[in-house]
Amino acid sequence: MTATRRPGRRRFSPASAGADLLLVLWFAFSLFPILWMVLLSLKSRADQTSTYFVFTPTPDNFATVLSEEGVRLTGVDFTGALLTSLVTSLGAVLLSLAIGVPAAYAAGRWAYRGSGDIMFTILSFRFAPELMVIVPLFVIYNQLGLFDSDAGTIWVLQLVTLPLIVWILRSYFQDMPEELEQAALLDGYTRTRAFLMVALPLVRPGIAASALLAFVFAWNNYVFPLILTGGQNPTVTVAVTRFLGGGGQAFYNLTAAAALIAALPPLLVALSIQRYLVRGLSFGAVKS
Amino acid sequence: MSSLELRGLGARYGRKTALHGLDAEIADGEFFVVLGPSGAGKTTTLKCVAGLVEGATGAVLIGGRDMTGVEPYERNVAMAFESYALYPQKTVAENLASPLRSGRLGTWTPEQRGARIGEVTRTLGIDHLLGRYPRELSNGQRQRTALGRVLVRPADVYLLDEPLSHLDAKLRAAMRAELKQLSGMARTTTVYVTHDYQEALALGDRIGVLREGRLVQVGTPAQVWETPADAFVARSLGQPETNLLEARVHRGLATTHGGGATVALPEEAHGADGVLLGLRPRDLRIAGPSAPPDGAGRELTMRGRVVLVERLGRSRELSVDVAGRTVITVTDDPRVREGDDVTLAVAWGRVHVFAGPAGDGSPHPPRVGSALPVGGTR
Repeated sequence: MTATRRPGRRRFSPASAGADLLLVLWFAFSLFPILWMVLLSLKSRADQTSTYFVFTPTPDNFATVLSEEGVRLTGVDFTGALLTSLVTSLGAVLLSLAIGVPAAYAAGRWAYRGSGDIMFTILSFRFAPELMVIVPLFVIYNQLGLFDSDAGTIWVLQLVTLPLIVWILRSYFQDMPEELEQAALLDGYTRTRAFLMVALPLVRPGIAASALLAFVFAWNNYVFPLILTGGQNPTVTVAVTRFLGGGGQAFYNLTAAAALIAALPPLLVALSIQRYLVRGLSFGAVKS
Repeated sequence: MSSLELRGLGARYGRKTALHGLDAEIADGEFFVVLGPSGAGKTTTLKCVAGLVEGATGAVLIGGRDMTGVEPYERNVAMAFESYALYPQKTVAENLASPLRSGRLGTWTPEQRGARIGEVTRTLGIDHLLGRYPRELSNGQRQRTALGRVLVRPADVYLLDEPLSHLDAKLRAAMRAELKQLSGMARTTTVYVTHDYQEALALGDRIGVLREGRLVQVGTPAQVWETPADAFVARSLGQPETNLLEARVHRGLATTHGGGATVALPEEAHGADGVLLGLRPRDLRIAGPSAPPDGAGRELTMRGRVVLVERLGRSRELSVDVAGRTVITVTDDPRVREGDDVTLAVAWGRVHVFAGPAGDGSPHPPRVGSALPVGGTR
């Protein structure tokens, strides 16, 4: 009864069909909020509170959100918020790279007194609840005059971006054979030059992957900008929510459109890093 | 161009001691081979000389200058790593140019660099690969590139870590011959690490045999071959391995277990409970009608039965059962078959006697001398 199976072809069975069906259901269930958001963003003001799937779609909401019309209607400067998010997220990633690459190298290469503790502290920034530190930070920011400033946001976003970059890059440096740098030392290069000439170029894929990942996390962060960037200079995550309450009226359709626009950069970034994550690091350098 | 001296060189990785105080003096221009099994500390020795081992103890002197605390990049030492350690993002030519561009060997113009690299790569047979990346090379080509990165530069000391291990047998033999001439051309003090006794014997001006972080014997190939310092060294050199027969000592005579052979011992071994008799397979011969055992008692003879014959090209490796002990020998005689009764003969002087002090259960007893004829004088 055994039919010849060609490679790559699965035999039909009720069990696997059932599993596939469950997967499809789960997929639809988990993506439903996004589908609902897309539908909502295409609805007119009149339709925005309806729960019907059938309506006349309009692209106006996107134009409104990005234009002066949106500002007039809701008081939210969404394009300004996009710019703020871009500046702060990018700034946060660059600052984290400047600090994090050397830190990751040191952590990946040498064990020194307290190195484990330092790494754990950096990691703890990631898992400690943001709300735990937000009140003291609010006080400190007010006193230092960092409240509602891009510099302040970049600084606080280090809690998000730095651990990611340090921990991801540390494993890249650990995977890189130490003998490559030793060869550079014996070629007559100092440790700094060996690092720049040998180690750094080899972890470029890791730097790209961790930087993009950190960018996504920085862009998506909500709590810190919500509390620390009061009125004038919000990031997109904060600005999106303002459409709900701006001018005494809730604009669900504008909120959905703004949220979709805000989700676009992280989406593109996420698609682009896949390639870097799977690429081999130092193939051919050292015999396997 | 410098001598190299190791004084009490020690190294440890965590709790494991990798090197137990090595002492060695290597003359200017000498080709010194470190021979040992894997895990003996060969690579660690090289890395200590290069200054790459943190927390190494003792001292390394290059050209009489103490290198303690001197950074690797200031030691003017070149090393070929067993893992090649080629820069993956650089081509073969760039890899070879790397030591010349560091600025520590004077200024090299691009033309001078090109000429030097061309010279070295032609000798190594990799001059057609200059534009390739390491990932595009075979293991043998990578190994030669790693060797090239060493030979391209004038250094005080060359450190070569198993530089021929990944070449196929034919290329290895060719490169071995080539290397001897290369290093002669460069006249640079070289420390060469290998686990291959043939490489060691063929290349070394002197050989240091390393076991578990200790230099067991240092000597010329002839010395190490003819008078191995202990049973370990005897077994490290030669293929098939040296036969080691356990023997009980009684009144200055040693009788192998099973009674297959009895020899008289040199004075130094009289105090031992037991000794090991070392017999190189090629020192043993099959005594037959055409080559009868020496009647004057100048040879040790043993009777046995051939249990296994293995062909090794022209000659055959025989496993001979001598009173319950297997003795390996090699013969060119094509007539010997499995099941034959044979007489093995070996000159007394070729029977190595290894003995520790009484009660010493060391697995590697030192050599105390050669066996003597029983009841006679030499």
